[in-house]
Amino acid sequence: MGQLLRRYRFLVPYLLLAPGLIWLAVYYVYPAVQMFIASFWSGSISQGFTFSFANWTNYTEALDRYSEQFVRSIIFAGLATLLTFAISFPLAYTIAFRGGRYKNLLLFLVIAPFFTSFLLRVISWRTILGDDGLLLGPLKAIGLLPEDFRVLATPVAVITGIAYNFLPFMTLPIYVSLEKIDRRLLEAGQDLYATPFMTFRRVTFPLALPGVFAGTLLTFIPAMGDYVNAELLGQTPATRMIGNVIQSRFLTNNDYPTASALSFILMAGILVAVALYARVLGTEELTSGAV
Amino acid sequence: MSEHDSILGRRFTRRTILQGSALAGVGAFLAACGAPAQSTGPTTAPSSAASGEPAPSSPAAEATPSEILNFANWPLYIDQDEGSPPVSPTLEQFKAKYGTTVNYVEAVNDNDQFFGTIQPPLQAGQDTGWDITVLTDWMAARLIRLGWVETIDTANTPNFVANLRDVYKAVDWDPENNLRAPWQSGLTGLGFDEATTGNVTSLDALWTDDPRWKGKVWLLSEMRDTVGLTLLKLGIMPEDFTLEQAGAALAEIQKTVDAGIVRSFLGNDYKEGLVKGDLVLGTAWSGDMIIAKGEKASLAFNIPDQGGMLWTDNMQIPKGAQHKYTAELMIDWVYDPEIAAQLAAYIQYVSPVAGCQEAIAKNPDPEVAALADNPLMFPDDATLGTVHIFRALSEEEEISLNDEFSKVTGN
Repeated sequence: MGQLLRRYRFLVPYLLLAPGLIWLAVYYVYPAVQMFIASFWSGSISQGFTFSFANWTNYTEALDRYSEQFVRSIIFAGLATLLTFAISFPLAYTIAFRGGRYKNLLLFLVIAPFFTSFLLRVISWRTILGDDGLLLGPLKAIGLLPEDFRVLATPVAVITGIAYNFLPFMTLPIYVSLEKIDRRLLEAGQDLYATPFMTFRRVTFPLALPGVFAGTLLTFIPAMGDYVNAELLGQTPATRMIGNVIQSRFLTNNDYPTASALSFILMAGILVAVALYARVLGTEELTSGAV
Repeated sequence: MSEHDSILGRRFTRRTILQGSALAGVGAFLAACGAPAQSTGPTTAPSSAASGEPAPSSPAAEATPSEILNFANWPLYIDQDEGSPPVSPTLEQFKAKYGTTVNYVEAVNDNDQFFGTIQPPLQAGQDTGWDITVLTDWMAARLIRLGWVETIDTANTPNFVANLRDVYKAVDWDPENNLRAPWQSGLTGLGFDEATTGNVTSLDALWTDDPRWKGKVWLLSEMRDTVGLTLLKLGIMPEDFTLEQAGAALAEIQKTVDAGIVRSFLGNDYKEGLVKGDLVLGTAWSGDMIIAKGEKASLAFNIPDQGGMLWTDNMQIPKGAQHKYTAELMIDWVYDPEIAAQLAAYIQYVSPVAGCQEAIAKNPDPEVAALADNPLMFPDDATLGTVHIFRALSEEEEISLNDEFSKVTGN
């Protein structure tokens, strides 16, 4: 038995990789290839679709027609990522350095809302933010806001919705990288007569960068493709994101070629953006920052 | 008759598609695409039923009701008792009579989306898993055009033959009344919160910059309802319009969107916004409004001065359905006026069954019996004279109109 194990030892890494690879092959590579083929289709659902590389115009047409939604998605996802960062960093910093014995409880509280369904949370925000809801109703009643003021069906609702939903994906990686900072480095900073702000700027923040990097990716990438927030909190033509367009192209218009082409443009766009970002912050950060 | 010829023509097309090997590959891919969407459907039921049955698709072998019937319908479209979990008396009584367990699934939320799930198997010549589907006129017509529905053997459906109201008979896409059986109809008109907007009777209100409703107006995401009403606003008949006129209607919709009067394009969920007060005026479906009024008394529905839209959701037996005979029994069952009255009392849309109004008037509960006088459930001829049916579209027209409409809705 021991001998057998030793002989086939070289197989072990492959065996360990196998579940992940099979998963990726079945649920990622196969659909991606199918979708790639579909993006070169022309035709309609009842007449059937035909494949031809001449249909690369699907891409240019899709990009041309939906550039507005693409740009909007980048802006919404970018602002949501910034907002998440602005909320997460102080939060993670406080938990990591000032949490004391409540550290685990505080971390639990960050994650606690996520024990309920994503959809339910978005729908309850719709109730809270309603034109005469819990938040705006009283403010309008005492005359602080004009009667026709609204949050729902505006970009603000969509961006804050996304920021809310991805908060833990930013907070946790930042927390992890702050947590593992050797406290003696901070003491060393003070010993060298650095002000607390200098220590933060020259020691703490650079050491937290891997977490920031991972967090922004974990937030920005899904936010780009998100359609639930725009669907439920936006609900207006001026807040439609690219995810909504892909969804309605697939399911309402049965326009599989355009939907597939849009999905690939989105994927390629995100890859390029991530590559540029990784270049700026250094690629090794991507792996070292992972939780 | 030309419509009928074209149906046969399409059938031939489908067969050629299945024979052409290259295209059959496409069909197979589509089937693969559709597989995940189907998982919400009746995946377990047919297999268990298949074991108890000889040949699934030979109608002659089906002289007895099957154990299972797979029924796909829209949400809130069947009667429910007060129990928990609630059950449908209509389906329970059907089971008591025929021994068939109805696997009733609220699987249809949107005509196009549901079509996307049944299209791959139908294209590949496979059973969809459903024995009855309920889809709106134009989608039902599309399935007929594609040759994807079974003909109802009217010998098995005496109630249906006797009680289908005349207004539904011999539409151009089902001249012999055996390719679809209307489930319920409804009216599309103006829904509003009277406490905020006052009584609204004209479609022009949807284009009026009025502080009472600006930014709190919705339009239906169903293209035919919204474009149909806009055509009426422009004085064009939805029964008979050109693509240019439809283009003018879409430009008209764009105007009110750009003016910030319209907030959203919505399906059934406008009800929630109306009840909460985020929405106060829009284009609505009659039955929804009757139910929503129960939650908020100030809600009201009007057929606009310019006219409203009439639509029908239709039961159909998809091609290759495993329990065609039982499906016919079910169609006949709901065309029994007593059963139709039981359904109508809950659903509160327009019943296509003659005798339903009389049956509901005899209900011992005075509140239910009063529904017989509700003009939205039992519209008189004068009301029916003011509503319009959206004309049939060719595939090219449909694709082009849907596409233009999605531009307006931001998709």
